[in-house]
Amino acid sequence: MVDLSVEVGGLRLKNPVIAAAGTFGFGTEYARLYDVGLLGGICTKGLTLKPRPGNPPPRLWETPCGLLNSIGLENPGVEAFLQEELPRMRGLGTAVIANIWGETPEEYRELAERLSRSDVDAIELNLSCPNVPGGKIRGGVPEEVARIVGLCRRVCEKPLWVKLPPEGDVLEAAQAAERAGADAVTASNTFRALAIDIEKGRPAFAGRIGGLSGPAIKPIALRVVYELVQKLKLPVIGCGGITSWQDALEFIMAGAHAVQVGTGNFIDPLCIPKIVRGLADWLAGRGMEDLEGVRGCAH
Amino acid sequence: MDKVTFRRAKVLENREVAPGIFLLRVEGDHSARPGQFYMLRAWELDPPLSRPLSVFDLDPSGVSFLYKVRGRGTRLLSRLSPGDELAALGPLGNGWKGVEGRVALVGGGLGIAPLLLSAKSVPEADVYLGFPGKPYLVEEFRKVAEKVYVTSETGEGGERGLVSDLFSPEGYDACFACGPLGMLKEVAKKCREAGVPLYVSLEERMACGLGACLGCTVPTKGGPRRVCKDGPVFLAEEPCWDG
Repeated sequence: MVDLSVEVGGLRLKNPVIAAAGTFGFGTEYARLYDVGLLGGICTKGLTLKPRPGNPPPRLWETPCGLLNSIGLENPGVEAFLQEELPRMRGLGTAVIANIWGETPEEYRELAERLSRSDVDAIELNLSCPNVPGGKIRGGVPEEVARIVGLCRRVCEKPLWVKLPPEGDVLEAAQAAERAGADAVTASNTFRALAIDIEKGRPAFAGRIGGLSGPAIKPIALRVVYELVQKLKLPVIGCGGITSWQDALEFIMAGAHAVQVGTGNFIDPLCIPKIVRGLADWLAGRGMEDLEGVRGCAH
Repeated sequence: MDKVTFRRAKVLENREVAPGIFLLRVEGDHSARPGQFYMLRAWELDPPLSRPLSVFDLDPSGVSFLYKVRGRGTRLLSRLSPGDELAALGPLGNGWKGVEGRVALVGGGLGIAPLLLSAKSVPEADVYLGFPGKPYLVEEFRKVAEKVYVTSETGEGGERGLVSDLFSPEGYDACFACGPLGMLKEVAKKCREAGVPLYVSLEERMACGLGACLGCTVPTKGGPRRVCKDGPVFLAEEPCWDG
């Protein structure tokens, strides 16, 4: 009997496949299509203290096997989330991870404090949104990571995950998060990238720089995870371009405790349940009961 | 809430009805209310996103879509032959509002796509179709609506000019419009002056089609709205037309 459940940074998940923040709304949108209780967990759309309208259109731009986005953290704000979205999310039958973004370290602390008193299962700090003009937080800078994680840790009883950018000194940033008391590291967010609208002769997005995701970044995201796992004690949650169970298995063999799927949901809206089933079938076919035997085997 | 499905379906027909404009018919007992759309794809990873296409027509054997070849996705769609498979997510979006009385349906170019199902379902609908060149699929509208007015910028197959110039909202209880931004603005101006409610169907780049990713959000007077979920049909006063 295959058991896909995993313990990740203080949180028990029924399986290691999580919907990445910003790609799965608050889960209810996809619940019209399938039972999202099949997921290991759902990271919410990035939440801020106040509602944010996000960036003007266009917000999406395709590149070969990749997707650039410039959503700009549109969200209803943490209060509306707690009152309207969270009760519905709790009914979905899967773990709820609140992804949060602050303009300042103090905003992160305030968000973490409020959510720590709520019914969410874990909190993920988004230290890496590539396309918010006001954002001064640099998740690749270890001192800033340490400060934010430290502030949140003091007020947060829930498992605390830290989502890092794939750029900057990722290892040092991850180690700073570890020392400051994080429970897991998500590696990684999108890559800062650019598209130019050649008809208009200017960047495709009003905010110029966007975040690149999708299969185009998978080998780089995998390398980031592989290198982090060698030096980090904290569990790593792999994220970047995963669209199949084979991709997910690569991240697990690189040492990831869990994976997040983002753009894969747009390529195939049933992507996550297919990955979960694919992992279970692969293990069963090899007579293995869980993923412990293969996690990190590629080192 | 509509039940949404994602499933494979066979292509029945993929016919070029005008240069670069295709009518794609897909097999299956699909459902859709007038004005709804599907996300279609006939490839694996690249391009990553499916293409949102309005339902043009629906019958017991299948569903059809009208599209123009604009980029890689629509070019790949245009190469499909009968018997090929694609994947369809839908039906999606809110569709046209149920209205009573006399209704004008105004479509410009590909904007005629979401109007045929309305023409079929609204008993008293007059149809105004505008084309840049030679008109296409006008006969489909003539089968279901008594009055079909056609314009073309070249004068071929219709009155020379723009449909927004020909159209007058006088005497209608409501109007539905879909087409290029300039046309929508002009129709909106006339409807506003005549005091006739106008509903418009908007287009935007989309990733999930389900309201989750916020990739298709447009600014409206009531705040940001998702074209895929809160739309694609909006009251014309809602969107902030100039961003």
